[in-house]
Amino acid sequence: MTNQVLPRKAAARITAAFTDAGVTGRLHALDIDTGATVSVAGTQPVPTSSLHKVPLLATLYREAAAGRLDRTRQIEIPTEARTPGLSGLAVMRDAVRLSLRDLATLVVAVSDNAAADVLWREVGLDTVNRTMAELGLPETVAVHLMTDIHDLLRADRAAPDPSDVNGFSALDPARTNRSTPQELTALFAAVWRDEVCGGELGAELRSLLGGQAWTHRLASGFPFDDVRVSGKTATLPTLRAEAAVVEYPDGGRYAVAVFTRAASPATVLPAADAVIGTTARIAVDALRLR
Amino acid sequence: MDLLAHLRYFRAVAEEQHFGRAAVRLRLAQPSLSQRIQRLEREFGVRLFDRGRGGAVLTPAGRLVLAQAEPLLDAADRLQSVVGRLQDGEAGTLRAAVPDQLGGAAVAALLTTFRERSPGGELDLRELNSRDQVAELIAGTLDVGIVRHPNPAAGLAFGPILHQPLGVLLPSDDPLAAQPSVDLRALAGRDLAMPPRATAPALHDETLTACARHGFTPNTVRGVEGLEFTRALIMAGAGLVALIPEPAPAPGTIWRPLTGDPLTWRTSVAWRPGHDGPAVRIFAEAAFDALRTRGGMHTSVPEQQRFPRPVSEFAL
Repeated sequence: MTNQVLPRKAAARITAAFTDAGVTGRLHALDIDTGATVSVAGTQPVPTSSLHKVPLLATLYREAAAGRLDRTRQIEIPTEARTPGLSGLAVMRDAVRLSLRDLATLVVAVSDNAAADVLWREVGLDTVNRTMAELGLPETVAVHLMTDIHDLLRADRAAPDPSDVNGFSALDPARTNRSTPQELTALFAAVWRDEVCGGELGAELRSLLGGQAWTHRLASGFPFDDVRVSGKTATLPTLRAEAAVVEYPDGGRYAVAVFTRAASPATVLPAADAVIGTTARIAVDALRLR
Repeated sequence: MDLLAHLRYFRAVAEEQHFGRAAVRLRLAQPSLSQRIQRLEREFGVRLFDRGRGGAVLTPAGRLVLAQAEPLLDAADRLQSVVGRLQDGEAGTLRAAVPDQLGGAAVAALLTTFRERSPGGELDLRELNSRDQVAELIAGTLDVGIVRHPNPAAGLAFGPILHQPLGVLLPSDDPLAAQPSVDLRALAGRDLAMPPRATAPALHDETLTACARHGFTPNTVRGVEGLEFTRALIMAGAGLVALIPEPAPAPGTIWRPLTGDPLTWRTSVAWRPGHDGPAVRIFAEAAFDALRTRGGMHTSVPEQQRFPRPVSEFAL
């Protein structure tokens, strides 16, 4: 099989899998070591929502590597003014004191919006955007915090028919934090190639990105005990996404980003979650066959 | 009258040609031995010995009786020995089963090894899938079986695990058949014939997961039972393959090992706990040895690296 035929066949199977799951999707997969790719509309802009926590944490560690920030510094986090959310500090009832890197751990483990916004305020939107530009990711732009996305969604929900998500600002990449599947894979690849930060910090950042608690999306496509999936999800009404690095014991490592939009506005759609794993594996299998 | 016992006395006197020496050999008093021989002569209505000072000499009738008695006594000895081994559990009919596609060589090796170790043992061997074996073992209509894992059978005892490598069954004219071994990834785009999922759901899923792990996700999976039908469908073409242990060669299809042995079926002997009499133990040991040395199975596979995942809830 030639190098062109295979990704084309994979792309057709990926599109068919999206359709079968009742979603439309965008996918970009990158072999971190060879640069080979599989892409389905992978360069189009997508709203990043919780996936922008990865540029945030990459910047946190890059700033730490540059000596501009101490990731072990502890911060008092009172109960007041915490960003609303459904996990982590957002649901806790008492004041806590945590280091920046432990906040980062919560951000990945349970997509903690409150912890993320503490870090956004410490690191700054501009620093994150500048860092992404430095890494060659100009389409990866943050314009607001998790709390602002929360406010946009509350306003969107007040629309005459809240199940009609077409006009939702939080889903419009022009009006919220954005990137492309391709740039997100490039960011994960940079983390795995020590290009964001090296040494102990690089290893710590990768370990932290391996700590996500749930496995219903991208990891569901790799139910293999000896394969490591380090990913971060993003969820908005009808939008389900995850970007991750998949590492095989033979040394193969692949960055994959999958964004789906479901036809149904239902909150719980197992097939739409699982197709993120299904399509990621089709892409990774194609890259491994080359 | 115990005819066999009396025939033994008769044979001893005939061999010794002397009542006294025969009595010593039989640890009997000589008058008692004489009485027993007389009783036998009354029973048969013929005189068996000419008794004189020099000893006891067979009459012509006695010689004829001896000629018939000897095979009778030999047969009785064999009967005694079989009964003894039955009591020891080395003989008797053992109801046993093997799973489908264990491989002709493996089954032959198992039968040979069992016969060597249990010469009088009768083996009632059937082919049964693991699900049916488990049901019959629990019901008591099967004494011992060879089952595949993962097997969710509670309440059974299992012998040590053996790993049976799988290969791919292809049409003889398939381009991949030209290679000595086939990379699982090269099967991408093919359909896969497998036993119907209901016969062993956990094994079915585990096999497909292992295929996916090594880069082969079949387009479709067809539930197909039996090697002959599987062969027929593969010969019919249309990109269908099967992943099975090495079968006996047959025209039209060809079996190739998988590069790096990525797929194995885990197999072990199973029985009802507390019902592992000598025959079951001999079968279990014979199966383990035969499958390992002549069935192409091995006792261990390289230990797999396992990444801790938060969903596993314990860091081990």
